[in-house]
Amino acid sequence: MAVDTQDRPSVAAGTSGPTAEQDSRFQRYRVRTGMFAWLMHRLTGVGLVVYLMIHIWGLKSLSDPETFNALIAKYHSPIFKVGEFALLVAVAYHAMNGLRIVLIDLLGWSPKQKKLFVTLGIVTVVIILVGGWPSIYALGEWAFGPGTMPSLFL
Amino acid sequence: MAASKSNALNWFLHRITGTFLIFMLITHFWVQHYDHQVASVTHEVVTEEGQMPDYPEAAKEGVRARFGPDAEATPYQVVMQRLADPVYAVLWKGFNILFLIVALHHGFYGLNNVLTDYIRNPMGRLIARSLSWTTALVLLIIGLYSVITAGW
Repeated sequence: MAVDTQDRPSVAAGTSGPTAEQDSRFQRYRVRTGMFAWLMHRLTGVGLVVYLMIHIWGLKSLSDPETFNALIAKYHSPIFKVGEFALLVAVAYHAMNGLRIVLIDLLGWSPKQKKLFVTLGIVTVVIILVGGWPSIYALGEWAFGPGTMPSLFL
Repeated sequence: MAASKSNALNWFLHRITGTFLIFMLITHFWVQHYDHQVASVTHEVVTEEGQMPDYPEAAKEGVRARFGPDAEATPYQVVMQRLADPVYAVLWKGFNILFLIVALHHGFYGLNNVLTDYIRNPMGRLIARSLSWTTALVLLIIGLYSVITAGW
């Protein structure tokens, strides 16, 4: 399993690593790749549920043109552009790690775990860079003045 | 309490809805951000407080073609442009209703997994579960109402 606890020491235990009692429950775990992936999946998941609630709540403004226009205008403010990028990072990570879980659980790809993790990691980075470029570009143009950012594929 | 006897069905559904969401999100993102005619958020633009973003030529033309030469390309009009075609509207509304249900189930089932991991006493779990599914139900009603009545 991905999770090692102190109650079940690994082979190298005894020579190094914390042995004294710890008061924080989090310190009892050694964070490894799988554990880190699981933790991030959980954190981004909770974040996305919170976003989903706000997002659906915002749909109510569709009943009135003025309110809706004001809301969308707000979405173009700098702080929302940063949020938009953070949202993409969370979605891309959660989607690709979720795909990894599905491939392992339903198609039995666990023997290829490591390779799968690296491949999907690269795909995630590409999604974030390509999909996030419009937001970064917009923020750069706003911060450093028009024409300062390379438009690339936009 | 047949549902609590086995969570295997929900566990399986969580994976299925997750897979569906990947494809639905790609569609959703494409329509909202990358199609120059119907994108309601023009992603390359940051505006100062309360200022309306400028839309690409394709969006302006689309709105004018639908709502007359004087029609302005505001975010609302761009969305309405998408919903003005009855066939298209039914298709999009159908897609969005399905999307709403799948996303809510996936999100709130996941949230319940997290909650039951940290809340140990049965009463607390019951309260957390009822509260979160009530929230999901309220959001479903708000979402359904918004999607169905949009453009009426």
